[in-house]
Amino acid sequence: MDITEVIREFVVTEYLPDTPADELEVDYDLFRNGVVNSLDLLRLISWLKDQFGIPVDELDIVPENFRTVAAIRDFVESALPAPAERTLS
Amino acid sequence: MYEWSQAHHELRAEFAPWYEVLSEGHLDADNDPGSDTDSDGGSPIRKWEQVRASGLLRLPFHTEWGGRGLDLLSTMYVLEGLGEGCRDGGLCFSICTQLVSAGIPLQRFGGPELKARYLPGICDGSTITAHAITDPRGGSDVLGMGMTAKPDGDDHWILDGDKVFVTNGPVADLIVVYALTDASLGPFGLTAFLVERGTEGLLAGPDLPKLGLRSSPLGELSLRNCRIPAANVLGRPGLGFAVLDHVMRWEILCSFIVQAGAMRHRLDRCVAHATQRRQFGRPIGSFQMIADQIVEMKIGVENSRRWLYDAAEGVVRGRDVTTDVAIAKVVTSEANVRSALAAVQIFGGRGYLAETGLEKDLRDAVGGTIYSGTTQMQRIRIARMLGLKESQT
Repeated sequence: MDITEVIREFVVTEYLPDTPADELEVDYDLFRNGVVNSLDLLRLISWLKDQFGIPVDELDIVPENFRTVAAIRDFVESALPAPAERTLS
Repeated sequence: MYEWSQAHHELRAEFAPWYEVLSEGHLDADNDPGSDTDSDGGSPIRKWEQVRASGLLRLPFHTEWGGRGLDLLSTMYVLEGLGEGCRDGGLCFSICTQLVSAGIPLQRFGGPELKARYLPGICDGSTITAHAITDPRGGSDVLGMGMTAKPDGDDHWILDGDKVFVTNGPVADLIVVYALTDASLGPFGLTAFLVERGTEGLLAGPDLPKLGLRSSPLGELSLRNCRIPAANVLGRPGLGFAVLDHVMRWEILCSFIVQAGAMRHRLDRCVAHATQRRQFGRPIGSFQMIADQIVEMKIGVENSRRWLYDAAEGVVRGRDVTTDVAIAKVVTSEANVRSALAAVQIFGGRGYLAETGLEKDLRDAVGGTIYSGTTQMQRIRIARMLGLKESQT
């Protein structure tokens, strides 16, 4: 499963239990539609740390990175080491 | 379980001589909390000058600002000693509020200029601090918060609204006010502002009478078109939820380790009483029903300490401790009520008298199940972290 699907699966399982995963558009606004509240966001950040092993400093948390599944994916990809580095490590 | 070093023991012992001073007269203060009310309506915090002199307020702050530079666990270890040694629960609560309400988020989220301006006064206690979280309409839904902040040009915000249950509020010089800045941003809709006493439009209400913790001033705040510099935002606009989460962890861990200390003191007191007090020709502690109550008190102390220190260690190690902190809060606050009630029972008629100080302990303990997120809210939080969903209907 690629990163987008892993994130979409998590969001649906955690916050939209009545929605089939493939029906959640990657650009669906999770804040404006009231899907993710502040406690949910803290849980999401904690999950991202564990799932992808990326350190998320509180001061780096900006809404643009968490508003949609696509934004979360972009944030994760930018925070992960480049594939070449990953292979070497 | 965390191992304490010789340096920790020495540090804790360093503050012990102050606790008798801070406890002196606490029963009178509880009976007549408003006796030394200021002309402007605020009751000064009892013994504040001695608290300042003790250096307790410096514990978790960097030496650069006049602090002692202690980490969370070391700070808690000293505060456990405060709870064990100081009989004035309200004063302990005000001390904890001073430590965590503004100084801790300022140290974590503030820029260099804000820190230089405020942290030295917070460390030496010349600046009394508070935080204003709760909306008069109540509830945990921050997006329903009535306190709003709107931009006024590029460099100011206008705050408007009311807050309730503000510990230290009636006398505070500096208050962290949480306000709604943009509801469309969901969890990023909340922002934390540093608001100074004397700001035009800010009105602090008087100390309100309450069940317990009477020597800790508690009041309401009203902000009407308060113009606050943008530089006084903690972190940045929209980061209020992260600031609040950081503060609430510190608040729960620090104020409830104080309670664990108080429970330890109460346990020792009950053991001594049950050993000395004789009925039907033998110490009352030899009766199984009394012993059982004391054993439960012991289990309550140890259980609370383990949860609190373990959660604190998780914070330091960067573990997700959302659930652990909530459990620690429920375990400790409820154990404290049971412990205080048992102590009144074990002391019998004398426990019911104000002069013994145990009925005050019970009234103080009830507060712990309510402030910093009620027992019910903590349980809801634990349920959500388990993945149990709110009803969709």
